[in-house]
Amino acid sequence: MPDTRQSILNRLKAAPSCPVAQRPQMPPFRERSMDAAQLIETFVARVAAQGGVTECISQSALFESMAALLAQEGVTRLMLTPDSLLEPRQWIAWGQTNGIEVMTPSDFPDRTEYTQAVFDRVQAGLTGVDFAVAESGTLVLAHDASQARLVSLAPLLHIAVVPATRIVPVYESAIEKLYTLTRRPSQVTFITGPSMTADIQATPFKGMHGPRKLVVFLLDACAGHQPS
Amino acid sequence: MKVTTERFKTIALEELANARTQKFLQILPKTLSARRQAAYASFPDPQAAHRYGAAIRADAVARLPELLERFEKNALDNGAKVFWASDAQAANDYIVNLAHAQGVRYVTKGKSMITEELGLNDQLRDSGIIPWETDLGEFIAQLLDRPPFHIVGPAINIPVEQICDIFMQKGVLDAPTLDPVALGLAARLFLRDKFRDLHMGITGVNIAVADTGTVINVENEGNIRFNKSSARTLVCVMSLEKVVPTMADALHMLRVLCRSATGQSAGAYISMDSGPKKSAEIDGPEELHIIVLDNGRSALYADPQTREALRCIRCGACLNACPVYGKVGGYPYGWAYSGPMGQILTPALRGLADSSDLIRACTLCHRCKTICPAGIDHPELLLYYRAKDVQADPLLKGHGAGSAEQLAHRVFALIAGHVLYWRLLTKGVRMITDRFADGPVIHKIARLAPGWFHSRDLPALARKSFHERWREKEHVTDGGAHAKKGSTLD
Repeated sequence: MPDTRQSILNRLKAAPSCPVAQRPQMPPFRERSMDAAQLIETFVARVAAQGGVTECISQSALFESMAALLAQEGVTRLMLTPDSLLEPRQWIAWGQTNGIEVMTPSDFPDRTEYTQAVFDRVQAGLTGVDFAVAESGTLVLAHDASQARLVSLAPLLHIAVVPATRIVPVYESAIEKLYTLTRRPSQVTFITGPSMTADIQATPFKGMHGPRKLVVFLLDACAGHQPS
Repeated sequence: MKVTTERFKTIALEELANARTQKFLQILPKTLSARRQAAYASFPDPQAAHRYGAAIRADAVARLPELLERFEKNALDNGAKVFWASDAQAANDYIVNLAHAQGVRYVTKGKSMITEELGLNDQLRDSGIIPWETDLGEFIAQLLDRPPFHIVGPAINIPVEQICDIFMQKGVLDAPTLDPVALGLAARLFLRDKFRDLHMGITGVNIAVADTGTVINVENEGNIRFNKSSARTLVCVMSLEKVVPTMADALHMLRVLCRSATGQSAGAYISMDSGPKKSAEIDGPEELHIIVLDNGRSALYADPQTREALRCIRCGACLNACPVYGKVGGYPYGWAYSGPMGQILTPALRGLADSSDLIRACTLCHRCKTICPAGIDHPELLLYYRAKDVQADPLLKGHGAGSAEQLAHRVFALIAGHVLYWRLLTKGVRMITDRFADGPVIHKIARLAPGWFHSRDLPALARKSFHERWREKEHVTDGGAHAKKGSTLD
């Protein structure tokens, strides 16, 4: 209805314009002047503050740590979204020798079957991240063909694999790289801790609609780990 | 939802007598205020961050038409559909028609005050489509048919017994429980079934970005993400003032919004959508419809003062700071928006016809203004509305002053304009009030202004006026040389 559009805009444009004061300076952020070690420390602390769990491991220990976590959580079926660190064939093969059924969204012939699986069949979602933001302990996921949205949302456990090199100081650092003149991801999600609510009698609990638990495997972040 | 703004006083009295409401109000606003303050302390310079957020909102409102056009262009480039709705009916019709065209029997919704403003749920139900609220608090409020008690916790005051009863009645729960966590998980399972085979989801919009055509939502539960991921068709309803110029502006507003609303540095989930899913993506909406809602906003934009209300970002921090909200809670405000936020938005959007008490339920303490991340001067705006009300402003549908009140003010103006009349008046008033003084206070003056004395006392007047005493003093000190000076203001 172009008429409605035009009349709304006309009314807005006809209104007297009010002068706006000059914008003050963008306020400073501590994270911008932090070194890598401080950023990691800040990131880990902020994830914990929002109820997430971070495990600092070396990349070579990833399979072993994953097996331990899945055993502890009783997970036998897992869906992963591919990432440079999460090569599906490698993980499917690893799953076969470790009694874990590993699947990816592209294993399913259509959206309906994929949806059934991610809602009801798998007990955990395993994803990479595009960035991890120190300022609030936030994981940034840009959704595209290889980063399906429901994998980090529908299962009760979300496991994210984050190389320390993907930690950036503030949101702007991530967003400037994700949104360019030629590219706008259809969806970008900031994940900060597990799903939570306090809507009944102000009683807080996790796992309201999304994951009850968020585990971040932070790779090569701690002293002694060799960057790869 | 029924609009009950004209019953502010009645419902406020009920809530003042409601022990459960009072118990919650002693805890909730204080807790949220303390959390907000702690969260702001995480900014290296909290005041600078606060001022910068307010500047973004001022800028956005000032440049509204230009930003909306830019937003629309970019949203269309992203592949979204943009519908401009002049009023609630147009927006509701669009959504109902879309639902019919898609053949859906139900829709799910993210918590959004704007669809409360639209009365969308009633419209959908009347058209044979079941709307499911999916935010836990909104879900409970919907089943009980209650307005939101608090913007952050719409049903936080509802006793577990009542939640258990309604959940049993509506088939959400199999066996009774009073455990809040078990009740929450029952709702999770019930709504998960709705999400799994979802065709159409509806959400509000926290921030829209002109530069990228992106719509942004903030939440903690994940229900909005399900609406945006699982649904084949997604409808995002935004009031037209939600737009900000750039992504950087949006990021800063997210910082102040999350801190102001729940005291978090970030909500658990922030989702930013630029168009529908791309063809290679397996989930996400195939169609994204963005409804830009006017509903009276472009008309009130003509008034530079009322326009200030459009800066609001619905964080709810003003509720927690308000001494009136802190006593009466959210129900008396009678519509989607409660607290100071409601007091400035409801009259702007619905006019003053039913909001006489709403605009006067304010002590002008200025706490809301001090903490508002959008930089709104609520008390100033409320005084403005009060003036517009007695002036019978046509745009805001003011009532106008009654004939007795008008006469009283004319007589007063006449008396106050003449020194002699004024002296006579003050002498006369003194004689009258002295008769009603009860020690240092006056509780009432015969049948005069019972409403005024209903909640206040007047201090008894001193035997002599300041000027009388001044003159006497001057006579003593310098023989009355200046006795005549300054007497015009007696």
